[in-house]
Formats: sequence, C-alpha cells, structure tokens
Amino acid sequence: MLKILIEKELKAIILSPKFSATFSVCAILIVLSVFIGLRDYQAAVAQYETATTLSNQEMREQTSWMSLNTRAYREPDPMQIFVAGVQNDVGRLSSINAFSQIKLENSNYSDEPIFAVFRFIDLTFIVQIVLSLFAILFTYDAINGEREGGTLQLTFANAVPRVQYILAKFIGSWLGLVLPLLIPLLIGLLLLLLFRVPMTGDHWAKLFTLIGASFLYFTFFIALGLLVSALTKRSTTSFMFLLVAWVTLVLIVPRAGVMLAGQITPVPTVAEIDGQREGYAKERWKQHMDALTERWEERNAGLQNLTAEEREAFRDDHSWDWMKEDEEERKLVQRDISEYDRKLNEDLRNRKATQERLGFLLSRFSPASSYQLAAMHLAGTDISIKPEYEDAMRDYRDKFISYREQKQKEEGGGMAGGFRIEFNSDTGMKISGDRDSGAIDVTDVPVFEAPQYRFAAGLLPAMPDFGLLTLYTLLAFAAGFVAFLRYDVR
Amino acid sequence: METTSTNEAVTNHAVNSPSQSRAMLAADNLTKRYEDGVLALDHVTFEVNQGHIYAMLGGNGAGKTTTINLFLNFIEPTEGEARINGIVTHKEPLRAKEKIAFVSENVMLYPNFTALQNLDFFARLGGQTGYSKDDYREVLLRVGLQEEAHNKRLKGFSKGMRQKCGIAIAILKDAPAILLDEPTSGLDPKAGFEFIRLLESLRDEGKAILMSTHDIFRARDIADTIGIMNQGRIVMQSQKSDIAGEDLEKLYMKYMAGYMEQVN
Amino acid sequence: MLKYIIEKELRDMISSTKFVVTFAICAVLILLAFYTGAQNYRVSQSQYQAAKTENLRQLEGLTDWIMVRNFRIFLPPEPLAALVTGISNDIGRSVTVQGRGELATQDSRFSDEPVFAVFRFLDLDFIFQIVLSLFAILFAYDAINGEKERGTLRLTFANAVPRAQYILGKIIGSFLALAVPVLLAILLGCLLLPLLGVHLNGDEWLRLGLMIFAGLLYFGVFLMLAVFISSLTHRTSSSFLLLLVIWIFSVLIIPRTAVLLAGRAVDVPSVDEIASQKNRLRSQLWSEDRKKMSEFKPTQNGDPQTMVSEFNKFMSEAADEREKKMNELASRLNEDRHNKQAVQEKLAFGLARLSPAAAFSMATTNLAGTSMDMKAHFLSEAQAYQKTYAEFMQSKTGMNIGGGAMVFRMRSGDGEEDVEKPIDAKELPEFNYAGLPLDRVVGAALPDLGILALFNLLFFAGAFVAFLRYDLR
Ligand SMILES: Nc1ncnc2c1ncn2[C@@H]1O[C@H](COP(=O)(O)OP(=O)(O)O)[C@@H](O)[C@H]1O
Ligand SMILES: [Mg+2]
Repeated sequence: MLKILIEKELKAIILSPKFSATFSVCAILIVLSVFIGLRDYQAAVAQYETATTLSNQEMREQTSWMSLNTRAYREPDPMQIFVAGVQNDVGRLSSINAFSQIKLENSNYSDEPIFAVFRFIDLTFIVQIVLSLFAILFTYDAINGEREGGTLQLTFANAVPRVQYILAKFIGSWLGLVLPLLIPLLIGLLLLLLFRVPMTGDHWAKLFTLIGASFLYFTFFIALGLLVSALTKRSTTSFMFLLVAWVTLVLIVPRAGVMLAGQITPVPTVAEIDGQREGYAKERWKQHMDALTERWEERNAGLQNLTAEEREAFRDDHSWDWMKEDEEERKLVQRDISEYDRKLNEDLRNRKATQERLGFLLSRFSPASSYQLAAMHLAGTDISIKPEYEDAMRDYRDKFISYREQKQKEEGGGMAGGFRIEFNSDTGMKISGDRDSGAIDVTDVPVFEAPQYRFAAGLLPAMPDFGLLTLYTLLAFAAGFVAFLRYDVR
Repeated sequence: METTSTNEAVTNHAVNSPSQSRAMLAADNLTKRYEDGVLALDHVTFEVNQGHIYAMLGGNGAGKTTTINLFLNFIEPTEGEARINGIVTHKEPLRAKEKIAFVSENVMLYPNFTALQNLDFFARLGGQTGYSKDDYREVLLRVGLQEEAHNKRLKGFSKGMRQKCGIAIAILKDAPAILLDEPTSGLDPKAGFEFIRLLESLRDEGKAILMSTHDIFRARDIADTIGIMNQGRIVMQSQKSDIAGEDLEKLYMKYMAGYMEQVN
Repeated sequence: MLKYIIEKELRDMISSTKFVVTFAICAVLILLAFYTGAQNYRVSQSQYQAAKTENLRQLEGLTDWIMVRNFRIFLPPEPLAALVTGISNDIGRSVTVQGRGELATQDSRFSDEPVFAVFRFLDLDFIFQIVLSLFAILFAYDAINGEKERGTLRLTFANAVPRAQYILGKIIGSFLALAVPVLLAILLGCLLLPLLGVHLNGDEWLRLGLMIFAGLLYFGVFLMLAVFISSLTHRTSSSFLLLLVIWIFSVLIIPRTAVLLAGRAVDVPSVDEIASQKNRLRSQLWSEDRKKMSEFKPTQNGDPQTMVSEFNKFMSEAADEREKKMNELASRLNEDRHNKQAVQEKLAFGLARLSPAAAFSMATTNLAGTSMDMKAHFLSEAQAYQKTYAEFMQSKTGMNIGGGAMVFRMRSGDGEEDVEKPIDAKELPEFNYAGLPLDRVVGAALPDLGILALFNLLFFAGAFVAFLRYDLR
C-alpha cells in the first residue's frame, strides 16, 4: 500500500509544473553558486599567494634585523565555496611586529565594498532560503489540496490506513524535492574535481555532512508544510500561513535574535578596550621613564667629582652596559603591556562569547539559524575564526619576535640596523651611523601556521544544531501526523 | 425482504452469499448530530442485501450524503452503527472499506494524470494489483468513455466523463458493495440511461448497491427497495413490487407533505 | 464605471482575512525595522562618543604637541544609516591621522563584532525589499485569473464594461488598498523616531521621504508585475509559481550573481599588491634617508633643545621628500585601481539593475548615504581633515611630524627637572564629518528611481495589453 501511495505521490509531483520550476531553478542556482564560489575561492587563493610571496620578498629585502616585520595572512579554505559564513567580514591579515596589536584587518568586504552591497551567494544561502521556499511550495497543499480536489474522499473510500497515507505524502514530497537537487549537486562536485580544488578527505567529509544537514533542514520545511496543510481546509490559507512562517523563521527570527542579544548584553567597544590598553601602556611607560631618569641621575651622581676626560672615559666604558640594562628594562615593560593586553582580550572575548551565545540561542528558535550555524561550524567559517586566527597569530608574533631578538643578539649587538643618538654636554650631538649588515638571511624565519579545521573539530560544535534540527523536524512531523489522523477528509 | 425481480439475481444471490440472513449493508439506528447541533440523521435503519439496489430518495439536506459518509467512516455516528458485511465501520474502518466501492456526487481525480493512470492508482489502492492496461481500457469502454480520452489528462474532462471514470474505478475494485451519491446528477439523458443499465448489470453480478438520488423516476426504474428520506429520517420504505402500480411522484409528495404536517 | 471597479476592488481586498493577517505582520515588521534602526543608532552613537572621548583622553598628560604621534577620527553614526545600513557596517569606522601619508579606514563593525555579520541587520531596506515585494505578489497574483476561476469575470463582462477601464480600476484599486496601509505603517514608524530619541533634520526628512517614495515605486513594480502575470495565465497556481520564481531571481539571485560575476570578470589589482609595492618603496626610501641621517650635523653645538629641533626639522623635510615620492607611486597605483574598479562597478551594477530589487536597494542606500560612495567620501573627508591637522601641528610645533619621523623626548641628564605644561587636547581641530550633500545624494539616487518608474510603466503596459487580449471564458 505504502509503495502504491509513494509511487503516485512521486508521479503527481513530477508531472506538476512546480517540479519543473524547482528543478530548473535549483539546477541553475546550485551550479551557479558552486561556480561563483569556485571562482571566488581561486581568486582568494591567488590573492593569498601573491600576498604571502610579496610579504616574504619584503622581508628578504630588509637590511636589518631590528626593522624586520612581517604580516600573517588567513588562508582560504575550499569549504568557503559552500559556506561563506563570516569569512568575507573578518579581516584577512594582521601585521606581525612588536609595536602593534594582533588584529585581523582588511576584510574582503571592507577592501572591496562592492561585494558587500549584495553579499554572497553560496550553497547554504540557496538551501536556507530558496529550498525551504520550494519545500513549502511542495507541501502546502499536500493534504488540503487533495481534499479540495476531491481525491482525498475517493482515496479514503478504500482501505487506506491514514498513517501510511501521511507517511507516503512525506516520503513522496521528500523524494520529489531531493531528486531535483541530486543532479545539480553532482554537477557541482564534478566542477570541484574539474577545477582541481584541493579537497582533502576531511573536506569531503565536511561537504557530505553539510549536504546531510541541508537535507535535514528542508525536511523540516516539508514536515511543516504537511503539518499546516493537515491543519487547514483550504490550500490558499495554508499557503499564506506557511509564507508568513517562512518569512518569520528564515528572515526575521535569526536577525532579531542576535540584535536582541546585542541589546541585552552590551560588550565594551573596541575603542574602550583600546583606551584601557593604551592607558595602561602610558602609565607603564611613564613609570619606566621615571625609573630611567632616576637611574641616570644615579649614574651621573657617581661622576660628579671627576674631570671631563675621566667622565668621558668612564662613560665609554659603561655606556654599553647601561644601554643593555635599559634595554632589558624596556623589554620588561613591553612584556607587561602585552600581558595586560592578553588579559583585556580574554575579558573582552568572554563577554563577547556571552553575547554571542545568547544571540545564537535566541536565533535558534528558527531552524534556519540552526542550519546556518551548523553549516558554518562544519565549514570553519563561523565567528570563531577571528579569535582562533588571532590567537595563532599572537603565538606566531611571540615566536617571530623572539627569533628576531635572537638574531639581533647573534649578529652584532642589540642595535644593529638602528642608530644611536648621543647628546653629550661635552661633545654635543652625535648620530652614530647605521651598522647595516647589508641583506639579512631570513630563510629560517618561523612561518605562520594557520589553525587547522579538522572535520571532527567542526562537527562537534555543530552537533547541538543537528540535534535541534532533528528535534524541530520530528516535532513538526509528529504534529502533522496527529493533525492528519483527525483530519476531516470530506 | 427478498426480491424475485429477475431469475439471474436469485441465482447470483445464492452463489455469492453464503450467509443469506446477513445483509451486506446495514444501517442500525444510525444517528448523526453535527458539531453545530444539526441533527442530520435520526435513528435510520435499513438493510441492503447482495444483488439488491437500495435507492435513498430525498431533497437537498435530507441526510443522504451523511448516511453514505457514515458508511465510509468519513464521520463517526453519534448513535447506532453502519455495518458492511457485518463489520461495524467506525470500529474497523479498514476492513470495512475493503468491501465497498464509492462513487461520489462529483467524481474528482488527479488532474495531471491520464484516465488510465488514475484508474491504475485507484485500482491498486482498492487492492486490485493484477490488472493490465487492456483491462482498464475494457472497463472504460464498458462505462462508455471513448477510446480517445483514455490517455488524456483529467484536466479537460467534463463532469460526465469524470463520473464514468468514477464508476469504472468502482467496477475495478470489484467490491461486494457499492455506494453511489447522486451519481447521475449532471449527466445527459443518454449517459444517465447507460449508467442505469450499468448499475443493473452490476446488481446482476450480485453487488449490494446503495444509491442516493433525487430522481424519482430513475429510482423507480431500477431500485429493488426505495427509502424516502426527509429531515434525517426514513419516512417511507417499500419494495419495488409494492409500489409498482402507484404513482411514485404522488407518493413522494404525499410523504413529504405528511411528514411536514406531522412535524408542524 | 471606473469608480465602481475601484470601489469593488478596495472592498474585496480589505474584507479578506488574508489582508488583515498579512497587513498586521507587515506593519509589525516595518515598525520593528524603525525600532531596531533607532536602537542601533543610539548604540552606535554611544560607541562613537565613547571612542571619541577615549581618543582625547589619551592625549591627556602629554606636554608637547610633538608627542601626539597619531590621532584617530571617527565616522559619526547617522540615523538614516541605521535605518538603511548599506555597507556602513562593512567599512572601517575610524581613520588614524598622522599628518601625512595615505589614510585607511579601520575597525568595521562586522569585523569587530562578527556575530552581527552572521545574520546581519533587520533594516528598512531589507524589510521593504523582501516583505513588500512578497506582500504585493501575495495579493495580486490572482487579480485576473482568480476572478476567472471564481467565475466572476464572465459575470462582470456580461455587462457593458470596457476592458481598459476594468484593468485600470483593478490596478488602481489594489494599489490603493495595499499601499495606503503600508504607508500608514511607515508613517507610524517615522513618528516613532523622535519618540525614540532620534531626531532628523530637514534634509534627512526629505531623504527619508524619497526613500519611502522609492519603496512605493518598488512596491508598484511587483504589483504591476503580478497583475501582468495574472493576465497572462489562466490558473492562479501557475501565476503564483511563476511570480515566486521571478521573485526569487530578482530579489535573491540576480543582484548577488551580477556583482559576483562582474567582480570576477574585471581584474582589479588587490590591495595587498598595492600595499606591498608601497611598503617596498617606503623601506627603500627610509634606508636611503638613514644614510643621510648619519651625515647630519647640527649647525652649532650647544643647547640640546635647539639641536633636537634642528634635527627634527631635518627629519621633517626628509619625510616631506619621502612623502612626495610615495604619493607619486600611490597615485599611479591607485589610479589604475580606481579605473578598474569603476569599470567593475559599472558592469556589476548595470547587470544587477536588471532586478528591480537591486535598483531599489541602490536608490535607498544612495539616499541614506550608505552606498558604495560612503567609503570614498569618508576617506576624502578624512584626507581634508588631515590637512587641517597637519597645519595645526605645523603651527604648534613648527613642523609636520607625521609618518615615519622621530620624536625625541628630552630627559635632561643634569638633574634639573623642568616641569612642562600639559597640552590642551581641545585645541586640536575637530573632525566635522559632513555627509554627502543632498544634491549629490539625490542625484545618485535618481537613475535608480527612474529605473523603478520604468519597470512600473513597462509592467503596467504589459498588464494592459495582456488583459485586452485575455480570454474571458
Ligand atoms: N459538516 C457539516 N456540519 C454541519 N451540518 C452539516 C454538515 N454536513 C451536512 N450538514 C447538514 O446535515 C444535513 C444533511 O446534509 P446532507 O447529508 O449533505 O444532505 P443531502 O446529501 O441529502 O442533500 C443538512 O441539514 C446539512 O445542512
Ligand atoms: Mg448530498
């Protein structure tokens, strides 16, 4: 019986104009989105490669260790083809040097605002918005449409169990919607192979899980469509309700949830944090300068009753040590400041995390949010890329700086490449030149290692959303089931 | 309540019904009060045996469709029960429905399917999986649907064509009981006549047929028993033989009027 | 006759439950957009004030203007930008001014708070673009073929009704029935603004008015389109399907695809390449100057203070020299980039305008001042400020110390601590951001308003002609 019902359902769907509409729209959109994503990814890779090459070249052209700085770049990942997430919003690079904070700057959208005007189109977007709409289109009249058409009566004049009927409706609509997806999806995968996108096993696992999540997501809308269709007598009514539900769930709730959370739990602004940091730094430097002054006074005190020549000789003897001592002190201050900065960042991050959790929690009242969050976690384009990359870059900066200082020490004292300006009440102003060592050998500079996004690492945070999606789907299906059992077939 | 109108019927009857005492379709004090308080059926009792046609006569709103819906378990009775081959419909609807075929007042089928596709689906729903395309064609020809229409989508079918498909579906199911709700309304006279012949041949095959109609003359033509229904009650029930000589129209009006007087 | 038809259409629409439900939702969403816009504006306002105060606070305690190494200026939030966010959250909100050198915007809202980038904001542009268009389709998809299915079309034309008047009445009636309630909701939202503490000036009201006008035009496009499609088809289910597909394409697909495809079709040199070339020149110039520095000899030995200022002047001149060379390279590189960007933009937006949704979005963002021009305008304002800033510094310190110049802090080694007076940060010229002038804003929005009007006309004519040949049976 079930087989007969499913067969009929499929046949009816395939013969209907909405099937051909869905099929062509899905085919165009999926292939298009994969193609655009691919081109975008390739452009990003090219940009990344030139940028890193150029940055390395700049390093090679440096003539002194002291002024050696570099930049670390965020690496493009093939998964961004399918789930752009926030990867266009988060900065691509941070400069790596002793004076400035690690901060991802130059996001794609701020560099090229033209792409920010209408944003991106990726598989997630298509599934989230277009496919859910089609799922509704497929099921809004599943039950009440047959009632209006009179075929429901005729069907139930036969010994047809209602359970099997609703199950067949569900399976039939599901298959009817999956079929138009499979072919373009396959073409999309072929495109990946054709363009030699470097997909690892992990990537494939992520991609297939993503496709699974997509199926789960539109299954919810199929169940929802059946539910509303089994609750209403007229298909125009059910369609209106579903459209309203769709607008609310897909377009409104996610945004409203996050915005609400933003208002409930305010987070200190970047400017405030910068202010705190700089305030501390200023205080610390002032301390340092005061101590320095004192120390110099002490040092000079020892010279008080020497002759000019003796003083000069004494200074020449000690100046190097003094400078070293001062330098050590300076480094200590720097360390303190970066320690404080770390603490501030930690604090800010915790408060942000609270806000984000609340925002996402509220937005998860909609399966569309759950789906998108799961997809972003899987693809590694969720908002945690920012802190994760910044952490990795901070570690890298420490490594880079200690390497640099090491080199500085090894190759000609602390000041190679810098210059020294002396004021001497006896000899006046003296700028001692540049002890440039010519080119420096940067072949063994530590290389920035981007954080790796393993499949399992993405799957884990996505699990709650998978669970939620399943729950929503089961609830909608169960409710539809119950509603249909009491449906008046006349 | 035995009929002896045709010899064939008697033989068929004997062959097909092992338990003569049990009626194929039985309404037993069937009562239905809708949620809004309308008492649509008021303790209706009747039986239809195999090889019999029972015609429910009555005006609009008399309760005919309600009766049929109760047999189909589309609604549940407030009181009493409807039985099909002894099976109480609202207790075991699935088992009961295996025994009946139904033709509605306005047969509606899947507009995107062809006649053959519709037939195939509903025949299989009715438990008949062994038919071939030729069987479908044969039945469609038997109910009078021209060959050209067999492979056309139902979208463009007229009401008469759809009714024919509906009866074809009922025939294909080959159930011992057939329910028809005003099947001839909207048919042209020729189609109506052919339809009546078809019903007779089905009766002769031994089917128990319950048909609602407001066409007095057709009812008298083929019914073995006629029940006149008004405001949810059977106000008169008589065998064909009993009213053979009488003017059914007058009788109908008389009962309706009489009933009205009784009420007032 | 026309009056009767319009009247009937109005009554028919307004009396349906569909109308009540949908309108209620639409009104709630529009009000929500105004509310969240106002709230967002207030949040940005306080963030802006905090940032500004903080920036000034950092100058506290400095004793010499020469110690002011860099100064940050901020993009002030604007109420219209909160209502129609455009790219305002994507571009940096602050610029560090040093007195010379190229400027770059930093700290975009979305990169600072990516949580908002995930689902983005619920602004007026979004609500209008998506909800109004769906609303129009939902009500007009069965304008003609629905009457046919119900049989009322035949009954109507059994009377002496001219077809032209009928379709005209239909369009006018449904537009009035739907646009008036929407307009009411919008006006209510506008009233909400002052109540929520958002005050617009005359110019801004005018711009908001034009934005609403654009919204009505956009609404009209989809209404006409729906009537058009409805009079091309005979079944409501097919007209709805067709309209939904058109809606998906014009609202969701065409704008994005057009920009992405055009963006990749034109190769614009990446910021990284340009930045790298600049970096290389900078370090090359710097190492040349370093050689010169070691040859520096003060004219006379004596007071370290005069020696230092002499040295600083020398450095400042060297920096000026370097900047001139940098500017040459930068303008060459930037010009190339700008030219290619212009081509890219023209192509992308030209294609995108095939969709009324894109035209609407560009009209409103232009009116709100959050279109593509926003970044360039902010940067040019900042550039102008940098000049004032440099002049101020010149007047205070006798030189422009920005960029890579060095600042010496004198600590006298001889014991006597001279107590210096702290500087008054309030003396610094303020950054008075002037948004895009009204005429430029309106001028930029006009072509898109024209396109929307054209779409209206086109679909209206289409509906008219199609209905004249409509099969009434
Ligand atoms: N779903 C319903 N709810 C309430 N009353 C109903 C319903 N269906 C039918 N009725 C009422 O029951 C009575 C019998 O209706 P029906 O069986 O359809 O009559 P018939 O088929 O003989 O014309 C009528 O008065 C009708 O108004
Ligand atoms: Mg009836």
